[in-house]
Order: sequence, then structure tokens, then C-alpha cells
Amino acid sequence: MNLNQKNKSCYIHIPFCDHICSYCDFCKMFYNSNFVDRYLLELEKEIDSLYSNEVLDTIYIGGGTPSCLSVDELEKLFRIINKLKRSKSCEYTIEGNFNSTSKEKLDLYKKYGVNRLSFGIESIDKNNLRLLDRSLDKDEVIDIINYSKSIGLDNINVDLIYAIPGEDINTLDKDIDFILSLDVKHISTYSLMIEDNTKLKINNTKYIEEDIDYSMYKHICNRLNNYNHYEISNFSTLGYESRHNLCYWKNDNYYGFGLGASSYINNIRYTNTKSLNKYLDGKYILDKEILNKEDIIEYEIILNLRLKEGIDLLYFKDKYNIELNKLYDYNNLVKGKLLVLDNNKLYIPEDKLYVSNEIIVKLLENKI
Amino acid sequence: MKQSNIRNFCIIAHIDHGKSTLADRILEKTGAISKRELKQQMLDSMDIERERGITIKLNAVQLKYKYKNNMYQLNLIDTPGHVDFSYEVSRSLAACEGAILVVDAAQGVEAQTLANLYLAMDNGLEIIPVINKIDLPSADIDKVVGELENIGFDKDKIILTSAKTGEGIDKLLESIIEDIPSPKGDINKPTKALIFDSLFDAYRGVITSIRVMDGEIKVGDIIKMMETNADYDVVGLSINTPKEEKVKSLKAGEVGYLYASIKSISDVHVGDTITLESNPAKEALPGYKPMKSMVYSGLYPIDSSKFEDLREALEKLKLNDSSLVFEPETSKALGFGFRCGFLGLLHMEIIEERIEREFKIDLIATSPSVVYEVVLTDGSKETVDSPVKMPKRELISKTLEPYVKTSIFAPSEYIGPIMELCQDKRGTFINMDYLDTDRVCINYEIPLAEIVYDFFDKLKSHTKGYASFDYEFIGYKESNLVKMDILLNGEIVDALSTIVHKDFAYNRGKQIVEKLKEIIPRQMFEVPIQAAIGSHIISRTDIKALRKNVLAKCYGGDVSRKKKLLEKQKEGKKRMKQIGSVEVPQEAFLSILSTKE
Repeated sequence: MNLNQKNKSCYIHIPFCDHICSYCDFCKMFYNSNFVDRYLLELEKEIDSLYSNEVLDTIYIGGGTPSCLSVDELEKLFRIINKLKRSKSCEYTIEGNFNSTSKEKLDLYKKYGVNRLSFGIESIDKNNLRLLDRSLDKDEVIDIINYSKSIGLDNINVDLIYAIPGEDINTLDKDIDFILSLDVKHISTYSLMIEDNTKLKINNTKYIEEDIDYSMYKHICNRLNNYNHYEISNFSTLGYESRHNLCYWKNDNYYGFGLGASSYINNIRYTNTKSLNKYLDGKYILDKEILNKEDIIEYEIILNLRLKEGIDLLYFKDKYNIELNKLYDYNNLVKGKLLVLDNNKLYIPEDKLYVSNEIIVKLLENKI
Repeated sequence: MKQSNIRNFCIIAHIDHGKSTLADRILEKTGAISKRELKQQMLDSMDIERERGITIKLNAVQLKYKYKNNMYQLNLIDTPGHVDFSYEVSRSLAACEGAILVVDAAQGVEAQTLANLYLAMDNGLEIIPVINKIDLPSADIDKVVGELENIGFDKDKIILTSAKTGEGIDKLLESIIEDIPSPKGDINKPTKALIFDSLFDAYRGVITSIRVMDGEIKVGDIIKMMETNADYDVVGLSINTPKEEKVKSLKAGEVGYLYASIKSISDVHVGDTITLESNPAKEALPGYKPMKSMVYSGLYPIDSSKFEDLREALEKLKLNDSSLVFEPETSKALGFGFRCGFLGLLHMEIIEERIEREFKIDLIATSPSVVYEVVLTDGSKETVDSPVKMPKRELISKTLEPYVKTSIFAPSEYIGPIMELCQDKRGTFINMDYLDTDRVCINYEIPLAEIVYDFFDKLKSHTKGYASFDYEFIGYKESNLVKMDILLNGEIVDALSTIVHKDFAYNRGKQIVEKLKEIIPRQMFEVPIQAAIGSHIISRTDIKALRKNVLAKCYGGDVSRKKKLLEKQKEGKKRMKQIGSVEVPQEAFLSILSTKE
């Protein structure tokens, strides 16, 4: 077993936002140019201390809202990232929202080799946007998307949130109509989660009923049938799957730099501190989970089964030197049609992806 | 110590009237423990006791008290307060000559005040009436004095105490010495000692609590259990002060602990008489009548490999609670377990809790059942303590169920709601007495099954908690009873069957299926829940199929979080029982008990 694989992916976290959404429990804070400067300095130190010169195949700048940095700050960020070696075909993504993305910034992205954009639309419905504490100008969206495509940044993802309290299928349909009209390569859809320490939770917002949530999910799957539903929440046109996210789902190693970022290096999962002060003091790491072979295999199963193609049994055997069915008895689940075994792939059928946790737990319980 | 300087007494009271606090205060007053050592309610040694505020295990403590220049030995024997434990109360009463009857100055005479008083009078004890908690702002001493006079006490004999402030405790100790008779045993007669409690110690084996009636027991004596005929060498004798102190002998009139390397729990019967092998007594002391179990329930380990552990736990518990009875039973749904008989519902809850807490066995308890009698068409009679044992309908000529007489004490403003509740519970009114101008005692005959079901909870909610209640078994009466089955996904779950009155079956069935629908989580497929009498379905509802159990967004590579979530779900599943293809949580099996209208 060679689990000490080379890192081919890197995540970089920019925790700043010019506005905080009601549902967001990610590591974020209000934009403040003083802090941005100090943060970027520290980020550079963190990268210098950990990066060991691998050629990277994916880089992902997430947040927060990376696009809320000024053009100068962005340029600083890109220069720092330029220390990382990128392969020729490296997928280089930056997240952002439409309000803070300008043509100038898009040109800058292009200049520094960014080739994939990920934008949060979430919804175009007024009521939904009010509940999510977001704003959106449709014309601006269309403008930015068209401009991006015109300068060759055509690998674009947009996010959609559904199952928002008060939402119905008609509202959802309008969101989908709009998103489809943008003709982007990749769509991520998430049912609204009400997390601790968010405005929604504090306001005691209740989840939409399970059956409605499910019917919306089904509806989305139907409406996006021209896209490849390659992961529970992700749809893409062929060849435009997010390679960075695939690295997570395939249980591969990755760097994670910045506040609150996670990384997976040589059988250890690290989580960085979420405290800006500690981070600026150079105390990056909050938590370390050292994995044994058993843990790694559990992760492999849990993560692979998010994917439509599931677990590649030959690859599994090659990676761990043992067949999966020697470790977990999945025959009953296959008989019960909760898993499909086809051509050396073991996967959750598409119509059951929405209860994948239930199925994964059942599988993990059947440890031999 | 001379017998004339010994006083053996217990404290009896309605639950929460301050019995244990009063005992603590007596301990402190006699110098047995300092205030600092006084862990509140010293005598209640088990966690559950302190948490629930009730005494469930016997304890005897020996105190020294100087009075008028004489040293006295006071043996305080603790008793449980709850109605379920009247058997244990009578055990400790038999070891005493006197009893302190404690009444709360704010609550007044309650149902169990009377029940315990009558038990003590039956045992011929001298009774000292005490009104406790006189420091409470809500205390109404004159009223409670009046109530005690109404039940036959002399006003001048009533002692007022506050266990909290210590007021009246000296007077109480004085009365214990002056009024309670000393033991009248004969030290020269062949030895007789009453076993009134026992417990299992991992190092010393079975330890018995004894009261020596006649003669003497010394370390090294060979003793004989008169009922079981077993012989043992006395390895040690001790008293509890409340620290354990070893003694060389226990003489007539004294109370203490005896251990004799008794390995087998079954050789010791509480209520049995110990005598000496060398000079045995001819007749044993009158033992106790073993109490009959009133309520039965199946106890099953969730983890079926823990069956033997459960057996061991039950055996250990039975050692100092001989009222607990159990025999193995098998359920199709739950596997191997035990059918257990209890004195009442509280008794059942405490045993279940002790098994889970002290023996760390996760349990499924089936809904409790009373003992029914069934007369078959061929004239023979069967007793049925579990719905599973109910004969086929066509073989039954009539069914009978146990009835109890309930005494409900409450402020008179609640007469209406109480009577309404009793009618709902198939009760028959007997009579009603006014204790004073605004408090009544209402008597009803009610099927015990209704009491077991949810009577007490309902009574509390109908009277805002002001009612107290006690019951006694009065006999069997004919009743139109049927067995009602519950089907999950089309299969009968034997552990969920109940016996119900036919006229109430439809409602009860509907409540149960609705309740189960609430408790059983959605499964991968739709699960119908049905209630049926024979092949006739009387109620049905469906648990919808699980639609969503997914972590949609995994953010920024933070996959540890997802794994933790799944681990939590995995843990949750361990506490479920797989019945056919349905995963059923523990509490579903008791849901039949707690359905709300």
C-alpha cells in the first residue's frame, strides 16, 4: 500500500466578506484592508513552511468571498500563489460573488492563469434572497458571465440553494430557468442547512419538510438532465467536473492553506485554526487526526460513495492491497438494491443518493 | 449494651415528607457524623436514591446517645417510603419496637402516611407522630395537628420538628427513649436472629442485615439458616455508625451486619431466621409473606450477547430485593430475555434503571402487564402475566382482571376532575371522606391495568400535582378482555402485544399506532403500522419512507466533519433493535404505556 502519495491539489482560504449571509457557518469575517495585508503575509509564510515543491494539478481559492479583495490585494495573492508549481493543465479556481467581481478583476484572474470561476447565485427569488440575506442583480450576473466567457474564462460554476423555508417548486423552477439560461459548465446545488451560530439558527428557522425537500431535489435532477450528475450535489457538462473536488471525493492528498482550511497530508487530516489572532501568530493548526489504515479505508468508502461512479474496486484493491469485500460485506446491500455492483464499480444508485448516509452507515456496520 | 438501653426504631412517611433529612439530623445530633461529613441524606447510599429522593435500599445505623446520664444505643432502620415497597417497609418494621411517623407541615396527612401507619400498627409498634418542615412558610401546623388527631393521635404527643434547622430534634430523641419500648429478648434462650436485608459484596460475599431477637451471635459461631438449612461460619460481625465498625458479637435486641462467606445468593432469604448449629432454636420467627408481583414486564438486553450478564444482574438485585421475580422468556422480536415481576411501576422503573446504570446493560423493557385470569371452555383456569400467553379466543370462556381500591387524597376543588378521571379508567365509585373542610379522600375500585397504564401521570396533571394516591389489591373481577397485536410491516411484533378491554381497544389501538409512528424513524421503505385483534385490523398508519439523509455540502475539504456525522449515526443505530427489516428504537416498546389522548 502506498498511501504516502504526492500532493496534487491545494486549497487556499480567503476568509473575508463584504457581507455575511444568514446561513453561512464557514470561516469568515468582515473585510478589513489592514487585516487583509497581514493575512496575506502570514499566508505566504504558511505556504513557505509547508509546501514541498510538488507540481499541482488543482488550486482552489475559496472563502469567505475572495472576490471582495481589491485588485491590488488580489494581485498580491496571485503572486504568492505563483510560488506553487502548476502543471500545464492545472485547474485553477477562484470563488466569488457577482457584486464584488468586476471586469478588471476578471482580467487580472486571466492574467494570473485562473481558468475556473465559481459564483454564488443561490436564488433569484426576492423572498429567498431576503431570508438568505443576499442580494443579486440578474443583469449584472449576465454581464459578468458573458464577459468571463468572452475572455476565455468559460469554465464556470454557479451555486444554487434550494429547500428554503417558504419556497415552492415554482420558485425553484424560476431559479433553474435562470441558471440554465446562463449556459455554464458546472452547477452545484445544496439544500439549505441551518447550522449552529448562523443567523438562521439564532432566529429559530425551521427546515422545510423532508418530503418537499426530496421532491425539489428530484426536480432539480430532472431539470438538469443535460448535465452529468457526477456527485450528490454537483452537475457538469462532460469533462468539466471539478477536479479539485474530485480530489476530496477520491480520498487523495491535498494542501489547505489559510484560516480554517483543512488538509490531508501523509495520512494525517489537519484542520487549521479559525482564530485570526492565532493564525497571524503563526499557530496555524487547530486539530490533527492521525489515520490508521482502517480509518483511511473508511474515509475512502464514505467519500467515494458520494460519486456517481462510486468505489472503483480494482483501484481500491491496488491502493490498499486487499479487496473491499474482504473488509466489508456489501452483498446484502447489493441484493436490497441499496448499492449497485457493476463492472467492478460499487455505487449508490442515483435515486438513492439522497439517503446516502443511511446506506453508508449500513455498509460500515457490515464490517467483517 | 443492656437491652433496657437499646431502642430499635424506623422512620415512616409519605414520599418527600422529609424522612431522610430527619434521619440525617438525628445522625448529626447524636454525633455519629459531623455536619461537615454529612453528605446530604447519608442513609440513602445509592445514586438513584439521592437523585429520586426516595429510599430504596435498607440501611441500619447504630447511634450512641447520652440521656439522663445513661448511654443508649439507638438503632435507626431506614425504610422506603413508596407504596410499591410496603413489603420492604414491613421487613424493617419487624426489626423495630417503634416508628417515627413523619408528616410534612405543609402537605399534611397523605395516602402513604396512612398506608405506612397501618402497617406499623399491624406490627404492634409504638408510634411517635412528628410534624416536620415547620420552618416552611407554607406550614400549617394547626391544620396538620387536626388531621393527626382525626386519625387517632393525642395532640400532646405530637412533636414538631424542622430537620432543616434542627428544631425539635432533642425532643424527638427524648421521646424515642421515653416512649419506645426496649427490646424484650432473652439472651439465655437459643439464638434467633431475623434477616431483614442482604446485599452482595464482591469481596465478602453475601452480607446480611440482622436483628438478634434472642440469644447471641459471635464471630466464629457456626450458624444455620432455618428455612434453607444451610450452615456457615460467622466470619465477621459489624455495625454501621455510619462507618463500618467490627464487633465481636451481637446480642439479643441488637442490630448489625453479618458476613459468613456466603457465596450463593440463593442460600439467603430475607425474612429467614438465623440460629446456632450448636444450640438451635426450635421454631423460626414468623417470616414475611412474600409479596405478590403486581406488574410484569419483559426485560431484554439490546445487545443479545448480554443475556447472561442480565441474568447475573437480576440475581444480584434479587439478593436485597426478594420481591423481584424473574424467569427466562423468549420473544420472536427481541430474542432472549426475562419476564420480570414487580411490586408496582416505580419498583419496575428503579430495577430497570439500576440494571442500566450499575450493570451497564442497555435494556428494552416491554410494556408492563398485570396478571390476568382466564377461564377456559373446559373449565380450567390459567393465569396470564404476558399478552403472549393469552390463550386463543375460541378457547376462552371468560377473562378476569385484578382490581384495586384506590385512596386518593386531594384538595376538594379537584373532586370533579378526579372523579372524571376514575370514570374514564373504568372505575367504580365507593365513597368519599372529608379529612377537613377542604381536603378529601376519594375511594374508587379501578382495574389495576389502568393504574399501570397512565393513571398516576393523569392524576398529577388533573390535580396540578396536589393529589396523593395509594392502592391495595382487592381481587379479580370478570372483564371483557382481548389481546391486541401490533404489526410492523405486516408482521406481528410479539413484544408490542397488549391485553385491553374490548370496549377500549379501538381507541387504544389508534393511540399506539400513532405513537409508534412518532417514535420509529423513517426507514428506507414505507412501513405500515397496524393494530389488530385476531385477524381483524382495527387501526393503521404508515411511516413514510426516508427521503433524505445526506450531507449535501462538504466544504473546503473538511471531510472529517462528515465522518463524525456518520459515526454519530452509527452509534444511534446501535441503540435500535432490528425487527424484521425495521429498526425500532428502545422507547417504542414502552410507548404503549405513555400514549397520550
